[in-house]
Amino acid sequence: MLRIEKTREGKNDILHLIGEVDASNSVLLDQSIQEVVQQGTSFLLIDGKELGYISSAGLGVFMSYLDDFSERGIRFAIFGLNDQVGEVFKILGLDRLISIVPDKSTAIASQHES
Amino acid sequence: MIKTSSLPLGRISLLLAIFVWLALVLVDLVRIFGMINNLESGISEEVTWILEILFFLFVYLVYRHIFWKNRNADFLTLIWRGVSTGLFAAASGLLTELIYLAFGESKIGTDPFLSNIFYHINFGWTSAFLISTALLWRHLILYQKNKQVVKQWQVFELSMLGALFFIFFNHNNLDYSFLFGLVILLIISILLAVNLKWIPYLNFKEKWRTLLFLFLILLSAGILFYRVLSYGNEARLQINLTDNLFLMALFGFVFAYGLFSFLVTLFNLPTSSVFEQKLTEAINFQKLSQSIQPEENEEQVLDILLDSCMSASYSDGAWIELNPKEHIQVKNSLRLLDRSTQTGLSTLFPQETQSWTFSLTTEQIQALRLNHPEYKSALLVPLVVNKSILARIVLLKEVKEGFNKEMIGIIGTFARQACIAVENHRLLNQAIENERYQEELKIAQRVQKALLPLKLDHPDTFEISAYSNTADEVGGDYYDTYQVDPNHFVVIMGDVSGKGTSAAFHMAQMKGVFQSLIQLGLKPAEFMKKANAALSKCLERNHFITASVFEINTATHTFCHARAGHIPTLWYRANEKTATFISIEGLGLGIVRNPSYQKHVHESTYDYQTGDLLVLLTDGILEGRNEKGEQFGYERLKNLVEAKHQLSPPTLQQEIIDSLHQFVGGDGMIEDDYSLLVIKFTKPE
Repeated sequence: MLRIEKTREGKNDILHLIGEVDASNSVLLDQSIQEVVQQGTSFLLIDGKELGYISSAGLGVFMSYLDDFSERGIRFAIFGLNDQVGEVFKILGLDRLISIVPDKSTAIASQHES
Repeated sequence: MIKTSSLPLGRISLLLAIFVWLALVLVDLVRIFGMINNLESGISEEVTWILEILFFLFVYLVYRHIFWKNRNADFLTLIWRGVSTGLFAAASGLLTELIYLAFGESKIGTDPFLSNIFYHINFGWTSAFLISTALLWRHLILYQKNKQVVKQWQVFELSMLGALFFIFFNHNNLDYSFLFGLVILLIISILLAVNLKWIPYLNFKEKWRTLLFLFLILLSAGILFYRVLSYGNEARLQINLTDNLFLMALFGFVFAYGLFSFLVTLFNLPTSSVFEQKLTEAINFQKLSQSIQPEENEEQVLDILLDSCMSASYSDGAWIELNPKEHIQVKNSLRLLDRSTQTGLSTLFPQETQSWTFSLTTEQIQALRLNHPEYKSALLVPLVVNKSILARIVLLKEVKEGFNKEMIGIIGTFARQACIAVENHRLLNQAIENERYQEELKIAQRVQKALLPLKLDHPDTFEISAYSNTADEVGGDYYDTYQVDPNHFVVIMGDVSGKGTSAAFHMAQMKGVFQSLIQLGLKPAEFMKKANAALSKCLERNHFITASVFEINTATHTFCHARAGHIPTLWYRANEKTATFISIEGLGLGIVRNPSYQKHVHESTYDYQTGDLLVLLTDGILEGRNEKGEQFGYERLKNLVEAKHQLSPPTLQQEIIDSLHQFVGGDGMIEDDYSLLVIKFTKPE
């Protein structure tokens, strides 16, 4: 079960993932990111506070956009992941490619730093 | 068996009938000779009677046999047989009369022997005609059998049998007992004659022919009866065979049923088109039901339906239009119409009836009044399958309000039947397709099983055991071993993202990559870089593979390890009696698809001791969840291995799987593929 809520704060787009991402619904996540990218965004944030589980198929969706983001100059960050989900990102090594931060303010602050 | 024994039976009966007839002629001639010359011939009249009865019985057997052989012939063929026998009998009777008219009172004309021979010939033919026609009537009466009719017929047959022997009782006199018997038999005949259920099954043309045939039968019977009566009055014939109750009753029965059939057929003529229509409808209905077979396509069903609807409503034109969303084509979509008339007509229909969206208006059959020079009324028949409109049939008539309630009812039934046929056809095809997919998946499963090694390469110095289970028919987990040289062994465990068929394909690619690259003698990190480069070319963009590679050197008691995003391997160290997950940085394969990947993978070399264990696994094991939603997790695995480290790899592996299943329980689930590979370093070199 996955619900995705989309909000926009200034130039930042936030996708709020609620539930679990697995092979059956990773398409939804893909569509949502696709939409945001096509509408044009400068900073895409994933709110993972209520993300209970992510399977490899879900990780594959994030992974497939990494090149796209860097080509379009879109900054990308994930925040609020619980320990278990955070561990999944870390084991795969995605924490080296994606900025994974504890909360939204850290994410936005990191943007101004760079 | 019946067939082989019945064949000679017919012939034997025929021969016997002819033989008995000849005997009868001979006996009667002797008797006449005796009577004329006032000599005692020594042959009593009972002999004649017995021969006559035998003759009747054999003729009956002959015709029973003929009817039995032709029991499946249609009515007209059978009736025609009766007609031909009748005409022949009547003609021979008339011919005799003509001969006598020609000879007049000459010697030949008055010769009692010759006239008796002619009389016997006519008697034979008349009997044959009457018996065959009676059996024909029997066939028609019993066409739609029920218990009552069969009983009636049996009563009639028994009475006729009685009549056969009546001659011994009344000695060939036309007395009151004779009349009494005749009346009773006539009453039974009339009662039987109401069984005329075969007539409605004839079509209009057949009815006309039946009328003609029945007329000829009645005519023949009339002529023969007249002849029989005139024989009775002729003084020169001393032997009378035809004033016989059996024969007279047969005349009565043949007349009665023939007349009834004739009249009923005649009065059925005007309504026969209705019967024919109902019969066509029933046949059409059957056709629609039968068109469910998978080899027939939907187009044929619609074709039959269009024809059926047209004939049921006597339409003057029709067409079928298909929902553009359905991928069916009908070759003859127009009937008795041209394209321009059709386009012209469809503009006359109200807009809402033209829509293909399913609604209360579009799912109903609608009768429309048209303002068109040629066609005055139309019927729109939608074909609804699964709440969507498959097609629409438009029926046209040149008269106003040409579609009555009856027609709309039957057309509705046709349409529903056709829709069921189409639906069943689709379901059947789906089922066949599913079956095929299942079959294909089984093959895939077998092929994939073969990709995992049956035998794992290992020396005496370590034991190894592996297990893999897939969530679907096929999965994306992979393990393999390779012996580089006597002291170097490579072990790999991999996990393809996602699951099912796509994962299985990528797993096969992974095997190819491993088996090719490992032969180059690459160190684990170098192997990962090359594998990443190779897989980047063949994985879909959102797929990746995680892997753990161990290069074990049994000479130096070390293993070199690199991890590409894979679940860390659990290492039980015997001298410390603790297990730890080997944490080493490394990014999954196929995530970064350029040379910068080399920054993301590292390798490390570790010393191992005897009694050490390596437990390689995929995330399916850790992510197995119990009914509370808790994961099996790292801690449980670590504690289990620490507790059971003394077990051999296969036993330990089984222990881990068992406790995973126990943890997950009946209601919990292991949604992912899961694999396990256990290595135990046993003895030093």
